[in-house]
Amino acid sequence: MPDFYYAMVSPPCRAALLTAKAVGVNLNLKTIDLSKEEHKKPEFLAINPQHTVPTLVDGDLTMWESRAICTYLASQYGKSDSFYPSNPKTRARVEHMLYFDMGTLYKRFGEYAYPVVFRGEQPNPEKLESLHEALGWLNDALAGHDCVLAASVSTFEAGGIDLGRHSRVATWLANCKTSLPGYDEANAPGAAIFGSFAKPALSK
Amino acid sequence: MLSDGVDDTNRLVAFHRPALAAMPLDLYYCITSPFCRSVLLTAKALGVELNLKEVDIWAGEQHKPEYLALNPEHTVPTLVDGSLVLWESRAICTYLITKFGKDDALYPRDAVIRAKIDSLLYFDIATLFPRFKTFVASQLGGKRDATYEEKKEKFFEGLNWLERFLSRGNFAAGTDHITVADMVLVPSVTSLAESGFIPDEYTRTHEWVRRCKDGMVGYEEANGEGARLVGERIKRMISSPA
Repeated sequence: MPDFYYAMVSPPCRAALLTAKAVGVNLNLKTIDLSKEEHKKPEFLAINPQHTVPTLVDGDLTMWESRAICTYLASQYGKSDSFYPSNPKTRARVEHMLYFDMGTLYKRFGEYAYPVVFRGEQPNPEKLESLHEALGWLNDALAGHDCVLAASVSTFEAGGIDLGRHSRVATWLANCKTSLPGYDEANAPGAAIFGSFAKPALSK
Repeated sequence: MLSDGVDDTNRLVAFHRPALAAMPLDLYYCITSPFCRSVLLTAKALGVELNLKEVDIWAGEQHKPEYLALNPEHTVPTLVDGSLVLWESRAICTYLITKFGKDDALYPRDAVIRAKIDSLLYFDIATLFPRFKTFVASQLGGKRDATYEEKKEKFFEGLNWLERFLSRGNFAAGTDHITVADMVLVPSVTSLAESGFIPDEYTRTHEWVRRCKDGMVGYEEANGEGARLVGERIKRMISSPA
């Protein structure tokens, strides 16, 4: 059983948890408390010098980068290719979304929310608009279910981002909540925990 | 037996291949962009013909209505392959290999090796290159802003991780042969190097760049020239007032 080092509040961790649920692989869960800087302790640095979560150890494979972990779990353990289709064009569209999440959507959320939530800075309206721009692109592109995007976007919602401005995103997320296997266990609690401290900070 | 989606697709592709081979793919690109150069290197390695369409991002051509209609995110590169319009360079690279590769050497199907490669593609987009960008932004026009020291520390932290990753084998993913991880990383890293941002003591990085230069088909055309151009531009941005 692979070891999975994670923090519940982290959307990238929840993306991997959702994927594990979807393809039916059990993970040996090891919590890392980021607020206590457990990711910077020597034991964890020895495993991952980049000190990020999630980190996966599967036999002699040690890896991080959540989206690579998701595709690895789907490839290695998936009984069918439904969560990570092997058809080149379909797969290209899926991978496009993973990079869009990492390089644009989740990135812009982090740039807006994390200075406020974790460093006590004032919310920046321009950065919020930049996030809405990215949500707009998501709104235009959406089709079907997605573990990685659901983890990110549910986090935005928990933080008080108004998804009503993007009707397809709101509908899609509602769908994910009922249709993604194990959503209530793998994603909902973490999003709620994040929202409990982020939403008050961001609504200043 | 039309029972497996993948087989159906392969049969369709094989049937249509003569027509497909006659129809080069369109690639909208800018030679200074390392993300575009990854695609060019990959296409060279595969022997895939690209119909190159320049987009001068420094002059804002990516914001023209015709381009926005194609790619509302106004990024380069963008690939058009028949009905597929695709951006996100790393997804383009892996798509080209999956579709046109005669074998899986550039992007092995083995789940473990592929996971190591994929990790490096994400490292490039979210860690290495962004930290370089923000470090450059903190010192424009010969003036270091308040975030300069913090950005410098983050930049060298990323570079140290790269140096460490590159000590695992001849090529980036710990392999003995070139993979798409090298195709994606070398344009970013050479942009950094040509801008003067990689000190000599990063010996593993410099040696790996040399191995890529020697081993990659069409390196000079796909990457060498573009890296030098962007290096010159960045040096100007840092030294002279805007």
